[in-house]
Amino acid sequence: MFAIFFAGVDLGSTMTKIVIIDETELTVAATVKHTGAEHRRLASQVMKEALHTAGLTINDIAYIVATGYGRINVPFADRQLTELTCHARGVSKYFPNVRLAIDIGGQDSKVLQIRNGKLLDFIMNDKCAAGTGRFLEILAGTLGLKVADLGPLSLSAKNKVTITSPCTVFIQQEVASYLSNGVPVSEIVAGLHDVIASKVSKMVKRLKLEPDVVFTGGVAKNIGVVRALEEHLGCKILVPEEPLLSGALGAALLGKEIVLNALAKGQTVPKSERRLEEAKLFT
Amino acid sequence: MVTADKVQGLAKARAVYQDRTQRVKELQQEEKKIFGYLCIYPILELLTAFDIVPFRLFGDINEPVTKANNYLPMVVCPFLRSYLDLGLKGKYSFLDGIITSHICDVGAGVPAIWNYAIKMPYSYHIDTPHTLRESAQEHHRQLLDSFQKSLEQYTGQQLDPGKLVAAIGKHNEQRVLVRELYDLKKPDPPLISGVETIQVIKTIQSLPVAEGNQLLREVIADTKERRDKPARKTSRLMLWGSILDNTSLVEMIESLDASVVMDDTCVGSRPYFNDVKITENPLNGLASHYLNHIKCPRTFISDYNAQQKDYEGDLKRRYGYLGDYSREWHVNGVIMEALRYCDTHGYEVPSVKDYLNQIGLPGIYLEHDYTLGMISQLKTRVQGFLEIIA
Repeated sequence: MFAIFFAGVDLGSTMTKIVIIDETELTVAATVKHTGAEHRRLASQVMKEALHTAGLTINDIAYIVATGYGRINVPFADRQLTELTCHARGVSKYFPNVRLAIDIGGQDSKVLQIRNGKLLDFIMNDKCAAGTGRFLEILAGTLGLKVADLGPLSLSAKNKVTITSPCTVFIQQEVASYLSNGVPVSEIVAGLHDVIASKVSKMVKRLKLEPDVVFTGGVAKNIGVVRALEEHLGCKILVPEEPLLSGALGAALLGKEIVLNALAKGQTVPKSERRLEEAKLFT
Repeated sequence: MVTADKVQGLAKARAVYQDRTQRVKELQQEEKKIFGYLCIYPILELLTAFDIVPFRLFGDINEPVTKANNYLPMVVCPFLRSYLDLGLKGKYSFLDGIITSHICDVGAGVPAIWNYAIKMPYSYHIDTPHTLRESAQEHHRQLLDSFQKSLEQYTGQQLDPGKLVAAIGKHNEQRVLVRELYDLKKPDPPLISGVETIQVIKTIQSLPVAEGNQLLREVIADTKERRDKPARKTSRLMLWGSILDNTSLVEMIESLDASVVMDDTCVGSRPYFNDVKITENPLNGLASHYLNHIKCPRTFISDYNAQQKDYEGDLKRRYGYLGDYSREWHVNGVIMEALRYCDTHGYEVPSVKDYLNQIGLPGIYLEHDYTLGMISQLKTRVQGFLEIIA
């Protein structure tokens, strides 16, 4: 008997993630790369890597779902679904009892209300960097730190500063002011995490706070933001082992569902040409 | 059989949509007076009765706001900022006059800035009340008397009541034709898309009423026969909200698996879904129509005398027509949209949502800033919403 494989491609604004699963929903490959400016070029390269890891060719994949900010720029995908639907499905695979998921990525943050693995409602952040991963990248640069160091450093803080500006650019000024006053960097970082948690918890409250609450996206790797969110929301936050992959995993799982539903109805699903090529502009 | 390139009415509408001023400038050469009007509360029938061509004023989403920054802060309605900017840049300098009304606080303030910074041969502001109380009705009626007198002074002619009745007839005919056009959106798939609908409505708001009516008749006839009708989509949506004077948002929605089959917006069904009653004194019917029968959140509708507020009853009273629309047009989802800083619509959203929940219709709220830059972010939200309701 031949195995059947499904792939999810999550082309985010900052990272490109690909997950390949087999028909038992076992992950056979999971690849994460920086998206960079030329994301159209990158999707096919990351796919080649994922296929190499799984020991497969592109023609072995029964169905490919693209999601994320760059989902329309994956020419070899059979279907495009939003990251909202894909995250909801992927998070539910990790945590079947999830009712609320928070995803903070490079350029946006979103809160998803989930029932039985399906998206019920959602809120996305406004056109504003504060409350996203980009905010932490910019402020880490201002503080001369690596993004990965922010979380552990904030846990050593005895206090946290209060950030009053709502805007990333003005927060940089505020941070410079704290630095010149000799405030420990750890306390500034803790204050920055509080800004994100405060913004996102307001989004959560516009929906409905119901456990289990799961946190995904690149920012979920920051333990300082996880703790700050738990403080704001007053509940335990669950984080998957690899929080970057939930969208791609969800896309692969939804691809499997699309194929199985079609088979059950005796239908075939339309597929793209299986050519690993760069997406072209304006095509 | 009508083919794509022979859809005369729609092709004409598209041409006027792309160059709205060409026809009215031609009419000016024929000594016609052209008055710009802002929003849908100026009494168009009075202009038509005085043989003045009403020309609706809009902003331009493709034109960066520069000059209006000197007069309006960033944190006010981006449509009004754009509209004022076009005025300051001389884009409306061909007009013979301008009529405004009290649409909202910023909308009431902009005419004063306009009069200060842009000299027009004629301008008039109707201080339209915001409630339906008896005193408001009476006040509005008196405002129309004053407006009539001002037009008489400008034209040097007394109002001919017969001409006013005839003008009401022509504008009512336009309302009937627009409703007939919207009937063509009831089948599945609709015979005319949401994008085309905006183009047609914006066009008729840029032409003399009789020419607009003729165009509508052509559009309706051609659309009924067209072979290139819009594709069938999974979702049939209704759009509710602030002014959409360009097709970008609806174009984005219809690029997904959805058709916009009904709307409650002012470059849409809102000005056309009730007729003006012809009363003994025609001004009475006009005053009542513009205040009572245009369902825009700028007018606060409530059971003013109720001792105890009945929220659910209030929702039905205010938005029951949206429920009727959703049933008649077989709508399975609603997009509520508001321009950023449009408090008039923004504050209405929670209660519209509550009403939609009451009737079991899913809805999503989009706030946009009158730029094309937000479209792809909004697309993810709309697509996510469609994935939920599919």
